[in-house]
Amino acid sequence: MGDPFRRAESGTQLLARLEGRSALKNLEPYLFAEEGSPVHGDVIEFHGPEGTGKTEMLYHLVARCIIPKSGGGLEVKVMFIDTDYHFDMLRLVTILENRLAQRTEEIIKECLGRLFLVNCSSSTQLLLTLYSLENVFCTHPSLCLLILDSISAFYWIDRSNGGESLTLQEMNLKKCANFLGKLVSEHHLALFATTQMLMQKSANSAESFFPLKLTHETDTDYRPYLCKSWQQMVTHRIFFSKQCNSGNSKGFTVTSCHLKRNHVVKRSFSIAECGVQF
Amino acid sequence: MQRDVGSVPLAPALRARLVSGGFQTVQELLETGPCGLSKEIGISKEEALEVLQVVRQECHGDAERTAARSGASRKCTALELLEEEQAQGFIITFCSALDNILGGGVQLTKITEVCGAPGVGKTQLCMQLAVDVQIPECFGGVAGEAVFIDTEGSFIVDRVVDIAAACVQHCHLIAEAHQEEDHLKALETFSVESILSHIYYFRCRDYIELLAQVYLLPDFLLEHSKVRLVVVDGIAFPFRHDFEDLSLRTRLLNGLAQQLIIIANDHKSAVVLTNQMTTRIGQSQSTLVPALGESWGHAATVRLIFHWNNSQRLATLYKSPSQKESTVPYHITSHGFRDVQPPAVTQHAEGAEMNPRKRPRREEEK
Amino acid sequence: MVVLRAGLCPGLTEEMIQLLRANSIQTVVDFVSSDLEDIAQKCSLSYKALVAVRRVLLAQFSAFPANGADLYEELKSSTAILPTGSTSLDQLLDSGLYTGEVTELMGAPGSGKTQVCLRIAASVSLGLKQHVLFLDSTGGFTASRLYQMLQAHAEEEEEQASSPGALQRIQVVRVFDIYEMLSALQELREHLSQQVVSSMGPLKIVVIDSVSAVIYPLLGGKQSEGLAIMMQLARELKTLAREFSLAVVVTNQVTRDSSTGPPKPALGRSWSFVPSTRVLLESKEVTLGKATTQRIASLAKSPRQPVGIQAELDIGSAVVTPTERL
Repeated sequence: MGDPFRRAESGTQLLARLEGRSALKNLEPYLFAEEGSPVHGDVIEFHGPEGTGKTEMLYHLVARCIIPKSGGGLEVKVMFIDTDYHFDMLRLVTILENRLAQRTEEIIKECLGRLFLVNCSSSTQLLLTLYSLENVFCTHPSLCLLILDSISAFYWIDRSNGGESLTLQEMNLKKCANFLGKLVSEHHLALFATTQMLMQKSANSAESFFPLKLTHETDTDYRPYLCKSWQQMVTHRIFFSKQCNSGNSKGFTVTSCHLKRNHVVKRSFSIAECGVQF
Repeated sequence: MQRDVGSVPLAPALRARLVSGGFQTVQELLETGPCGLSKEIGISKEEALEVLQVVRQECHGDAERTAARSGASRKCTALELLEEEQAQGFIITFCSALDNILGGGVQLTKITEVCGAPGVGKTQLCMQLAVDVQIPECFGGVAGEAVFIDTEGSFIVDRVVDIAAACVQHCHLIAEAHQEEDHLKALETFSVESILSHIYYFRCRDYIELLAQVYLLPDFLLEHSKVRLVVVDGIAFPFRHDFEDLSLRTRLLNGLAQQLIIIANDHKSAVVLTNQMTTRIGQSQSTLVPALGESWGHAATVRLIFHWNNSQRLATLYKSPSQKESTVPYHITSHGFRDVQPPAVTQHAEGAEMNPRKRPRREEEK
Repeated sequence: MVVLRAGLCPGLTEEMIQLLRANSIQTVVDFVSSDLEDIAQKCSLSYKALVAVRRVLLAQFSAFPANGADLYEELKSSTAILPTGSTSLDQLLDSGLYTGEVTELMGAPGSGKTQVCLRIAASVSLGLKQHVLFLDSTGGFTASRLYQMLQAHAEEEEEQASSPGALQRIQVVRVFDIYEMLSALQELREHLSQQVVSSMGPLKIVVIDSVSAVIYPLLGGKQSEGLAIMMQLARELKTLAREFSLAVVVTNQVTRDSSTGPPKPALGRSWSFVPSTRVLLESKEVTLGKATTQRIASLAKSPRQPVGIQAELDIGSAVVTPTERL
């Protein structure tokens, strides 16, 4: 690829970029099996039905990142791509207010200054936006978290626009996935993307996807439907679910699967005014 | 015109070609024009022209489309609607208690569903309404005609003759009591024969016939513009037998419901449906509920449930956008649908006559 | 996916387009995702010119990231909370309907969805003097009931004779299929983006009663067409809500997994993600011939409040008599 922007990277930028590696330690140890934090280059998929806390978990991660080090945060920048008009700024501010010792307007705005938000309304626009974001990642070395909520947003529309041909249906998403892969590896990002549970589990689809052990331990009705390119680049898949009996104070559960090492970890959490609590 | 190409009613294959050809918004299609379009995505010029026509109609055609649908306006302020509602008459049922809980009678432009067990009087009410819709305006009626779609074969013409004769007789009594010019003139043409000749009867034996009839009805109504009542007696019957694919049934029923709403709205007609009751087995007890499932329950704007209490027939208004839910008794006599204790005929008549455009039986309650 | 054509952006000439086409590069996506060095060679075009065009095209067709702090500032000034006309419902919703969001009312037949919609329209129109767009797809809109609510409301506030004005601020469009609904929303978008205030004054809320009536006939079977058009509608609603700071209220039916299961929103999983707030309306007790006007509203989804909290509301006891006149 003849990309002039990437080539123009200066030595200091390169250094800063690579230094960013350690920045995501302690992002949220509970979410990750054994290793405790995502490594740069990891692609983490959040999967679950409506109302199981995926978006809340994203706010939690965003808050962890943008709160200054003095306040116990990581003080790194985050790029949030919102494809569903789902992002609720007021909710994020509430969470920040609850977590900051000094809840002045100034500090809040300083935190929010580390967050970049972009809305995309079609898979084409998403693709073009990803292309143009490359430049932003070059010029902001402290941007080390990329969030995409959700990557399945255009599924039905693309499927119908593609007509009979599966290649056409998946064309844009495939290009997006490939380019995301490139962004993540070249800029040492961690990517969190949500996929909505749109399908019911079909009788025999799950076993082919997971090693047998995982299928038993996870006990979720997962049915992959997005294009193969995406499926192959995911390193962690985290399933979200909600317990029906409200007696339990921690009503939500995440089941985190490290797909390369076959590790599974199950945790419960609750959602309060201050956000996710493990 | 930022509208997405995917949101325009085009054939799926055609839409896929447009999208893969790089067209995203309607604006781009319009700018390209038929020749460009046919070259660009490799369809014939005729096809391209058709695409653009659909697009134009969809985007600018609000006025044209409304005009095509018998001039009923689809867009107005709530104030205009209020005036419209107040000018509209009701179809009386000849049971004043039932008229009262309905707010004056069966409403035009709305769908009313009557649910109940066999023999409780659903078809009786339908036949009564098919007659009553024809009462001349000077007697407080809406001077309309009726379409009667029968799926179970329960329409009995002899019974309609009885009901019609009683209705004509009733109007004659009013006219005698008041000796007014317009009454006598109206009665010259208001006869059992004329009533029978203005009930358009269709027998539908399965759901395909029923769907076809309902979807073709707008054309029939354009030719018969005086129709103010469409009855579908036995909406559930064709859908209860031999229906294995329940999701198909739901889809067909919901489509049917939308079509009936269009008919009610565009032709200023009352739509009256009858439905059976079915047993729903609950956790502790089983209850009788209207058939066709919960989703169908949204189809009708007004829902009446007819039921028995010992030997007394009762009507419960179960769902209504404007009226309180309540229960009243009714009676079925040889003359048709009536109050349990029919008010004296003369009193009755006065009410109807004093307020011709309003509720005929308002006075007697005071 | 936009077709490349001359004049699309500076520097993109007809000649370039012809050359690109010959190498099967037709759309903006094709162009920006291909290797420009390779193209420069194949089409014998200047690499520099191609890079410049790519940059302009990207700037033109991609979405631009906004800084969180700026967005927050903007949001603080544009967000409004609209009263629903019922104190208990307002409390349930954390003081009312938020602009920028889609709120869904779901319930069984006769659970009072239309009544709540009418009351919201009355409250916004009379109380806030704001315009209301009401899309009616079930024929359930009843102006006389609305008028009665306005009168009751006006009496409380001791504002007389304002009801006709309030009725005029409520624009009703009857749409009976999904394409009509999309057209009506498109028309609204054009009005709002051109800031035509003539017929429509300041608009803060769009009420749609109901979405399920127009979507249901399209669902089922093996076709994904229906789902695609449903998602188009969802996208349109959310975009309108965000871009023009509107509160969008929609009504939906409920379904159950089994006859005794808990009610859940109709229209399937894909739709379940669409509204950010969802309220379930239920009758207190369902016994034949013993109906009440008391309803229970429970919060089924909310970005602010704990899910599961409940409120009681009365959907109105007064009866409209047809003799009432303006």
